[in-house]
Amino acid sequence: MRLPLISMACSAWLLATAAWSADRTLSVTIYNNDLALVQDRRDIEVKDGRQRIEFQDVSAQIRPETVSLSAPDISIVEQNFDFDLLTPAKLMEKAVGQEVTIVRVNPATGAETREQAQVLATNGGVVLKIGQRIEVLRDDGLPVRVIFNKVPDNLRARPTLSVSVIGTHAGTRHATLSYLTPGLGWKADYVALYNEGDGKIDVQGWVTLTNSSGTTYDNAQTLLVAGSPGQVDGGAANNYRPPPRRSTLQVPGTQSGNRERLGDYYLYPLAERTTIANLQTKQVSFLDVHGVPAEHGYEFRNRWLGTAEMPVSAQSIYSFSTSAHAGLGDQLPAGILRFYMKDKRGDPQFIGESRIDHTPMGSTLSLATGDAFDVKVHAVVEKRTRISTFDWQTDMRYDVTNALPRAVVVKVRQDGLWGDSSVKTESQKSTRLSAEAAEWNVNVPANGKATVTATFETRY
Amino acid sequence: MRAAALIAGFGFAAATGIAAAATQEVLAEPPSNLIVTVYRAPYRDSGSIDLDELNGFALVTETRIVRLPTGVSRVRFEGVADGIEPSSALITGLPGKVVEKNRDARLLSPSALVASAVGKRVELLRTDRKTGTSQRVPGTILSDAGGGVVFKTAAGIEALRCSGMPETFGFEPAANLSARPTLSVEVRTPSAVTRQVTLSYLARGFDWAADYTATLSQDGKHVDLGAWVTLANSNGVGFPGAHVQVVAGKLNRENDEVEPIDVGGPILAQCWPLGSTSDQPMFLREESRSRMFMKSVAAPAPAAMGVLQEIVVTGANKVQQEQLGDLKLYRVPERTTLASRQSKQVRLMDQSGIPVTTIYGLDLDDDADSTGPAHRWVRTKNTVANHLGLPLPSGSVAVFGPYNGEQLLQHESELRDVAVDEEVEIDLGESPDVQVSGEVEETHIDSAHAKVLPLVPGVSLRSVKVDNVQRVEVSNARAAGIDFELRLRIPEGARVVRTDHPLGTKNGRPIFRFKVPANQTVAVRFQTQGIGDGILRTP
Repeated sequence: MRLPLISMACSAWLLATAAWSADRTLSVTIYNNDLALVQDRRDIEVKDGRQRIEFQDVSAQIRPETVSLSAPDISIVEQNFDFDLLTPAKLMEKAVGQEVTIVRVNPATGAETREQAQVLATNGGVVLKIGQRIEVLRDDGLPVRVIFNKVPDNLRARPTLSVSVIGTHAGTRHATLSYLTPGLGWKADYVALYNEGDGKIDVQGWVTLTNSSGTTYDNAQTLLVAGSPGQVDGGAANNYRPPPRRSTLQVPGTQSGNRERLGDYYLYPLAERTTIANLQTKQVSFLDVHGVPAEHGYEFRNRWLGTAEMPVSAQSIYSFSTSAHAGLGDQLPAGILRFYMKDKRGDPQFIGESRIDHTPMGSTLSLATGDAFDVKVHAVVEKRTRISTFDWQTDMRYDVTNALPRAVVVKVRQDGLWGDSSVKTESQKSTRLSAEAAEWNVNVPANGKATVTATFETRY
Repeated sequence: MRAAALIAGFGFAAATGIAAAATQEVLAEPPSNLIVTVYRAPYRDSGSIDLDELNGFALVTETRIVRLPTGVSRVRFEGVADGIEPSSALITGLPGKVVEKNRDARLLSPSALVASAVGKRVELLRTDRKTGTSQRVPGTILSDAGGGVVFKTAAGIEALRCSGMPETFGFEPAANLSARPTLSVEVRTPSAVTRQVTLSYLARGFDWAADYTATLSQDGKHVDLGAWVTLANSNGVGFPGAHVQVVAGKLNRENDEVEPIDVGGPILAQCWPLGSTSDQPMFLREESRSRMFMKSVAAPAPAAMGVLQEIVVTGANKVQQEQLGDLKLYRVPERTTLASRQSKQVRLMDQSGIPVTTIYGLDLDDDADSTGPAHRWVRTKNTVANHLGLPLPSGSVAVFGPYNGEQLLQHESELRDVAVDEEVEIDLGESPDVQVSGEVEETHIDSAHAKVLPLVPGVSLRSVKVDNVQRVEVSNARAAGIDFELRLRIPEGARVVRTDHPLGTKNGRPIFRFKVPANQTVAVRFQTQGIGDGILRTP
């Protein structure tokens, strides 16, 4: 159950029916898909017999159906999650039929007159019965204070979890409250500084933790799990599928690291206890590697055998390895990798970013940082002829231009080779990456131009 | 909340055996040596910036002095840009071990004060309107849910500002709320030290574009091209005395949500229904109240406020260009102040006497309905020989033409990123004097008619169906002859097989290039051969 966040702070306001002691251990395990497991261990005072224990400082977005309380020598009668909030209007509404104290203030003298009144109705305005008179509260606009005797039982400043238990004997128990909550999440953020001189990168990795759950977790032992456990969605099925993206993982790795695991998920425990404040973004370092060899290249993809209106920039690609040898030497949790490069004055400048998925150690990553200003490709259908009913021939031309003062190699890739497609003739040898794609490594001289032509035969 | 944190803090100290002197708050000195690099909106290919919606971003680098005591301290960097993407923040130069870095999104605001005071003791302040005497009553805030405030005093439970008397709270100082966006770092240092620390981060709410002015010469054969770099900052934070540069080129940006900043709001103090016997019907009241509520809640974040206060134009110094990987970096030569909500212009280039050819033309669609006035373009190649040969970052172009010794605006168009040696085309808008009309003359060809149009060289027609004969007429009401380009947008795979004019190709599309003499009309006839059943129609 998700509740709208009415306000953003954790409450220490205790309506204590059973007192919590300060000896409390909080551990928070955060998964990648907006899910966290909170385990709250503390000593509780339990009386003999039936009683209600309230937990106000739980996540404001708690999924109440996942709550479990365990403590020795108690049995649980029921669990309730109250989300009727204490507001002035609710307070008045719950007072209908009951006595309140009204204090009239004389505007001239400031003198106070106290009277007892019964609330009759709160529809649009408050109707009071004072003695035998009926009166509308502050109908004349003069100041009148209304004083209530108590707060109704189930009105709360914050959504509150309460558990009714039966204690077999009075005393202190060591209890564990655990529940799942959305609103806590983490991802990795990487910073890669590319050195153009020697083609090496320095990479720093940070885990970034965000808390929008509406509650602060004080002094919590925090464990991050690089994985997205399956969740059964209570609501409508989410049928949205994002469009396919350029695959960043070129070669999946086969090396094992020495990080802790949970099942097949890698674990990133934070070394120290930390306070995860509400609406806070927190970052902790987990990777710092220097001088990893990286390659810089260009890539262009023509989605189908079609003509582009204008030359299109090639993508600027950086690729490197995550292997223990000449690589980052770690598995990388999913996140965003930002590339920086030093300008002529030596200041690092941002040159683009790319998202990566969970990447095993020993993989080769190839990340696009953006369009190359000076390297462009113009794909043109020169001719398309029908050879027979299901047989077509397409003549393609790819003009690759380079306005850089150095020679570059551009990977020109033709995607969308549907059906039974074959390259009949070509001006240079292509690599057939798959049934659907062919690729040429095109050498383009400095401030120059190169052209590749190819004839495709496609049968349906 | 603060009380709870303290208890937890003591628990922590006891558990780990560290002396009770917990985290010390250290405020970093204000930034010096600011470097701001502005990147344009990643999905805008051409055109100028929109001051109301700056979708670009900037890399901000600043240097600050930090005085660290021994032990664990929380270093607070106040006054970072409100559009900061906290996950991109990098801090270098800190001694010892960085434990963690944090960005707290909650700013000091009336509602945040109440929210952080829930459950704590506050002082209620009531003032008599007549006498002006104030009464201070100790109490506890019970709830601030739903925009109303309920508190408890010795007298009982009451709601704030429902009595009709002036009421407010006196708060204790809230240590965990900052007035300005703040980034903090927890660091452990073995001994007290003073360091210079570099902080860099990406922030939203910036943008830039190149704004060109193209001035045509009297004879229309040359153009003077000047350009400004227009950059703007919609953040509530200014950058005084900064090294400013802009980066041209399209960067890959992942569409990541930025954690919002909670700018807070007023204390609403909503009451119980306060209708009186002379009130308008309730549903009207409810509506107006909810509208009021919406209005006060939806106070815009500082970064979203579109009103830019100041526009500064400087022209003496041009930006200096350098290569940054596959991007182009333009450096503003002197330190400058990029103030909060300000747009600024710096000269990008001034190139004069660029030879251009003037072309009239039209893109003709398959359905032949796309006729009407032709467009006029000036065209040149971006080379040194043409007095250019510079990368041209994308932006807008205002074209001016001479009239009576003055330069008047003729058209505004857009320019994409143009690399050196590429063709540059500037649209001069529609030309009502040059009209293009087209129609399909025939849809079935008998053999007698088919011979009217000569075959396009290289085409051999077997018994293949020929779609139709199209006739396009170009009329010229100008007193001078024009060069005309008719670009055909026929489906890929279709081709022109017969025509009475020479056929060329440009960018993979068939094109007719011909002259239209002064005050004359030229007709072009052509026949296309279709793509049959249309399997290869591309999306």
